Amino acid sequence: MKKKYDIKTTDVELLKKWYHLMVLGRAIDDKAPAYLLQSLGWSFHAPYAGHDGIQLAIGQTFTKGEDFLFPYYRDMLTALSAGMTAEELILNGISKATDPGSGGRHMSNHFAKPEWHIENISSATGTHDLHAAGVARAMVYYGHKGVAITSHGESSTSEGFVYEAINGASNERLPVIFVLQDNGYGISVPKKDQTANRKVADNFSGFANLRIIHCNGKDVFDSMNAMAEAREFAIENRTPVIVHANCVRIGSHSNSDKHTLYRDENELAYVKDADPLLKFRRMLLRYKRLTEEDLKKIEEDAKKELSAANRKALAAPDPDPKTIMDFVLPEPYEPQKYKDGTHNQTEGEKAFMVTAINETMKAEFRRNPDTFIWGQDVANRDKGGVFNVTKGMQQEFGESRVFNAPIAEDYIVGTANGMCRFDPKIHVVIEGAEFADYFWPAVEQYVECTHEYWRSNGKFTPNITMRLASGGYIGGGLYHSQNIEGALTTLPGARVVCPSFADDAAGLLRTSMRSRGFTLFIEPKALYNSTDAATIVPEDFEVPFGKARIRREGADLTMVTYGNTTHLCLHAAERLEKEGLGSVEVIDIRSLIPLDKETIFESIRKTGKVMVVHEDKVFSGFGAEIAAEIGTEMFRYLDAPVQRIGSTFTPVGFHPSLERAILPSDDKIYEAAKTLLEY
Amino acid sequence: MKKIGLFYATKAEKTSWVAKKIQEILGKDVEAVEVEHAWQNDFEAYDRLIVGASTWFDGELPTYWDELLPELESLNLKGKKIALFGLGDEVHYPDNFADGLGILAELFEKAGATLVGFTLTEGYTFRKSHAQRNDKWCGLVVDLDNHSEKAEKQIQEWCKQVKKELE
Repeated sequence: MKKKYDIKTTDVELLKKWYHLMVLGRAIDDKAPAYLLQSLGWSFHAPYAGHDGIQLAIGQTFTKGEDFLFPYYRDMLTALSAGMTAEELILNGISKATDPGSGGRHMSNHFAKPEWHIENISSATGTHDLHAAGVARAMVYYGHKGVAITSHGESSTSEGFVYEAINGASNERLPVIFVLQDNGYGISVPKKDQTANRKVADNFSGFANLRIIHCNGKDVFDSMNAMAEAREFAIENRTPVIVHANCVRIGSHSNSDKHTLYRDENELAYVKDADPLLKFRRMLLRYKRLTEEDLKKIEEDAKKELSAANRKALAAPDPDPKTIMDFVLPEPYEPQKYKDGTHNQTEGEKAFMVTAINETMKAEFRRNPDTFIWGQDVANRDKGGVFNVTKGMQQEFGESRVFNAPIAEDYIVGTANGMCRFDPKIHVVIEGAEFADYFWPAVEQYVECTHEYWRSNGKFTPNITMRLASGGYIGGGLYHSQNIEGALTTLPGARVVCPSFADDAAGLLRTSMRSRGFTLFIEPKALYNSTDAATIVPEDFEVPFGKARIRREGADLTMVTYGNTTHLCLHAAERLEKEGLGSVEVIDIRSLIPLDKETIFESIRKTGKVMVVHEDKVFSGFGAEIAAEIGTEMFRYLDAPVQRIGSTFTPVGFHPSLERAILPSDDKIYEAAKTLLEY
Repeated sequence: MKKIGLFYATKAEKTSWVAKKIQEILGKDVEAVEVEHAWQNDFEAYDRLIVGASTWFDGELPTYWDELLPELESLNLKGKKIALFGLGDEVHYPDNFADGLGILAELFEKAGATLVGFTLTEGYTFRKSHAQRNDKWCGLVVDLDNHSEKAEKQIQEWCKQVKKELE
């Protein structure tokens, strides 16, 4: 490692600047608990004392305008050293409306300034490594000179998403610096309970295209040299670098942790002896770089600066509770031609849903050069996904825009989130998993995607269309038949759509790909090549979010449905009509979030009877929400209790007889409707 | 005969214990120097040196040594002999056992000194160490945390060895 900085030759003004930052940072770190004692906020504080060298170095190495920084919750000095002011740190600490990272929405000690690309990140530390890998992918694609720096403790390396990020960065050769601030503990859990290797970075020593640099995170110069070398190396060689910085944790993990319960006096004295700030001060004096008077002046100035920052921050406005509904989701693209998402085109050939999705993606990729798609299996020669939905895309748009992802769902979603941070013009389509059933490992990243816009107070939203092939009726058994929207619709911050017909699939996909924000696009895989779902698809068809479509008009009973069961409802309705048992209106909601309650309610006013039908389980399925909304708001219009049809509360069995017994069918819907009509 | 300079941190309990034993054995030939306040010229004042340090954390020198290293980068000990001792904990830190000794060895070799007082690694259980040179330590390694009962004998024998080798 080159020694760019040392105590003897580093410019004295730079030494002064560093000492000022370190003293000021430590003063804020020491003051933070006082805010809590005075009930002013900062209820979560993870002191950084003992990490001073590496945090100063991360911040100093971060180059505004070129780099992206993902600091974790202990990175207070990192943020200060990267250019944030004392006042900005306190605004976050005491959750003020003017907190630059989140306006008081995110937890204290999560310092961010998105406009400088000091990114607002999750408390689930280590998940942001995936975002760093994603943004570095964009840097490579757009030929941008810079690095993504992500930072967290050594214990986070026990998490799978950290492994996925390092593996992906190594495989794709992405300029990411992973800084491991090793203080020996994950809260109270010592390193020996995390992994067999005390130097956890060495667990990654077998990775190709990866450099590992060890440094003393308590030493300013060693840390500065390590970070400078890492940045230079990452840019020149286009490879990731791990910087493993040995630190100490002088205090507790946070103010909710009491470290004296698990650390003895000897250990506490030992780590205090290694205090990086005092070490730096001693060296400045010993090597005669600064005098005692110089140091005292800097200390005095820092005190005054903190005092002024404190006064300003205390006077800043608190967040307004009336704003809680702001920034849940950004405004979507508004269709211009097909305002209600219907069309009357009767000329032309019917297309299967798989073709409609494929052709819409291609059309949107031609229209917008800043679109990308990746996922498992999406691009290998003539194969375009397990269901051929992406067939031909890599050939037309190239390997940089259309490519396979590793079998790592978290990585697929997390790097999409990260890539979108590079520029809001980017829109990423991902196949979140090979089948919806395999999406569960990525739910953490789904949560992050849904949180971003709200948590950043509207400063960042990932523009992602996440496609998932979902549902049963293919004899797929427990792990190729799941419907997971019931779980995912409990999370605010995503639009969730599920088409039943080819034209709606095309229209909803186009709208998703033109909209800001995150959309979950559920594709009932049994309908990909179904003639029932095939339709004429106008070339430029668009469907707005939150607009249901009445697929069959009727007067006696309303069926509210989506996805596979739309077709089953239509079959049952046809039979009931033919048998003279009643006229059924079938509403395909198309969007689960936002939900078109008006169309549903309007129909119920007419029919007075309603069935909610979906493929997912009745118990806690999305239909429970629809039924509850109807019960609350439309009770006086109902002539019978709301009925619900869906799967049994079991997994989906593999034997055809089991699958038939579990999933809804024409007959089950017909029987239930008949009973309801007779009520 | 010129004095031997014995450099160690007087505030470091275990290191001091070993150093004092050495001083007892080698007697009046040895002059103790507090490393906390030592500077380059203090090292250069002796032709024969004994230097000791423990290892902190995952393989670092203690702060008082670490802070001295930039000063010692220009140290000139050509033609001088030096014997090193280090402390380690083979149970809790087997991956960086007595690394401090190895770091000191590199420093003094770079300064042109001849290292003496090598001892066998046999009988120690560890995975990795900067202080290892083939089947030898580049000095004396004492593990007071786990094998304090062996220490006195190890120090005795080592003093006998370095007395000769430092001549």
